Amino acid sequence: MSSVRQQIGLDVGALKARDTEDVIVGKEIIRHRLSSRVIHWLVADFFFLCAATGLPVFSPVFGWLGNLFGGLAVCRVIHPFAGLAFFASAAAMFLHWKREMQMTAQERGWVGPKLLEYLRDKANHDQIGKYNGGQKVFFYTAALAALGFLVSGVVLWFPLTFAGFLRQLAILVHNVTFIAFFVSIVFHIYLGTTAEPGTFNAMTRGTVSKAWARIHHPKWYRELMGTDK
Amino acid sequence: MSVQSLEIVRSSASTWGGLTGVRSLPVLSKYIDSSSCIGCKACEVACQEWNDLPVVKTSQVGTYQTLPELDASYWNLIRFEEREHENGFSWLMRKDQCMHCGDPGCLKACPAPGAIVQYANGIVDVNADQCIGCGYCATGCPFNIPKFHEKTAKMQKCTLCVDRTRLGLEPACVKSCPTGCLHFGTKEDMLVLASQRVGQLKKNGFAEAALYDPPGVGGTSVITVLAFGNHPEWYGLPKDPSIPWTIKLWKNVLRPFGFIAIVGAIVGAFGHHLYYGNKGHIDPAPLDDEPPQA
Repeated sequence: MSSVRQQIGLDVGALKARDTEDVIVGKEIIRHRLSSRVIHWLVADFFFLCAATGLPVFSPVFGWLGNLFGGLAVCRVIHPFAGLAFFASAAAMFLHWKREMQMTAQERGWVGPKLLEYLRDKANHDQIGKYNGGQKVFFYTAALAALGFLVSGVVLWFPLTFAGFLRQLAILVHNVTFIAFFVSIVFHIYLGTTAEPGTFNAMTRGTVSKAWARIHHPKWYRELMGTDK
Repeated sequence: MSVQSLEIVRSSASTWGGLTGVRSLPVLSKYIDSSSCIGCKACEVACQEWNDLPVVKTSQVGTYQTLPELDASYWNLIRFEEREHENGFSWLMRKDQCMHCGDPGCLKACPAPGAIVQYANGIVDVNADQCIGCGYCATGCPFNIPKFHEKTAKMQKCTLCVDRTRLGLEPACVKSCPTGCLHFGTKEDMLVLASQRVGQLKKNGFAEAALYDPPGVGGTSVITVLAFGNHPEWYGLPKDPSIPWTIKLWKNVLRPFGFIAIVGAIVGAFGHHLYYGNKGHIDPAPLDDEPPQA
């Protein structure tokens, strides 16, 4: 069957990436199977829906974003539901990846100086497996943010149910979470696209080149090639 | 509204050009003398009548009070408090309603442009057509006044009868008060009236009588004479109200910081790219550890 596909020019890599990952297909390596990619993009899309309907509330400077949905009053209705969808997909993402994202003691250093080292191209990549410490830190940032958004968001959703200091606190938590997460997102997008060519493909087609794997995730590359000691 | 928009001196979530107030007007004020209130609730009825508010189901709270709290359809409530103190027993009555703060916390917290406005005459008003019903105003209010209307999903509160006062009439509650404990006029005049009454109360043995016009919220356009001025909490009033620090932290610190952080991150990412370029564009060594291709 697969030989027929090859004969008529079907994309074997993409087809294999439907349900397998961490396998070599010709010159490529499948990095994210279809389910991983779908979950990632659900989280991303719901986040941007939340951001677009929430930013006009953050500041009137972003009122134009609210107009895309029919005004601020519509945003106020959409935002909490988009938020629930964001949380649900983020929870699915957490469960989907949590085993692969377990951090070693060494990787905890990525919360601080190691990340700067990495950004300055000074980090030693040799022992980096499928995910580096920074990616893992971002993974937990997203999980924490989803939780912070949910808890504070539910309080803000129902002005009749919750009142007083709890709501004041929720406003602060929602804002701090947003600012911290959005800054992380900016770097996530930057590093996933133009900073490191070939990376975006891993989240769209699901595959990366062998050369890419060797540069960015050498230990993962060696494991797949069977050359890791 | 079109003429009144010339009188808007402060507007929620306003941007440049959002303020249209060119007229200067004397600040108006409602004067309440809690010590001569007899709790007849004529003001409650007048408020419901004038504003065409529906009947709200009352609930027994153990006193003569109509409701435990103000309601989205009940903007004026006489609070009853039985209080024992050193000099005996007092039955305290206070008219609870929007205080129309000089520096309104509701307006500060509101994220919807123009949903809460302050007119040059001091009246703080909710524009229902701009309101999105998020309830942030209630969170920003130190007096717990704005209420969420379940049917309209908008916030509602006392307007200080903005539709009467702009025609030179006094608010409906003032009009209906039989004892003269309510007056309406310029704040200047009301302050004179209040200081006279406070002096009279002091002479009559209420040494702590005082006017409640809290400076923490920039003074209010509803000023209340309290016989026990050192105990505003006996009347259900906060001792030294101000806009909650959380709301100030959010609007004055977090929001500008958020802008700087987000813009900084975007500029930083661009800068990083200019300085360091792409990673992985170096010519890779041949993949000599590749197994032979099938």
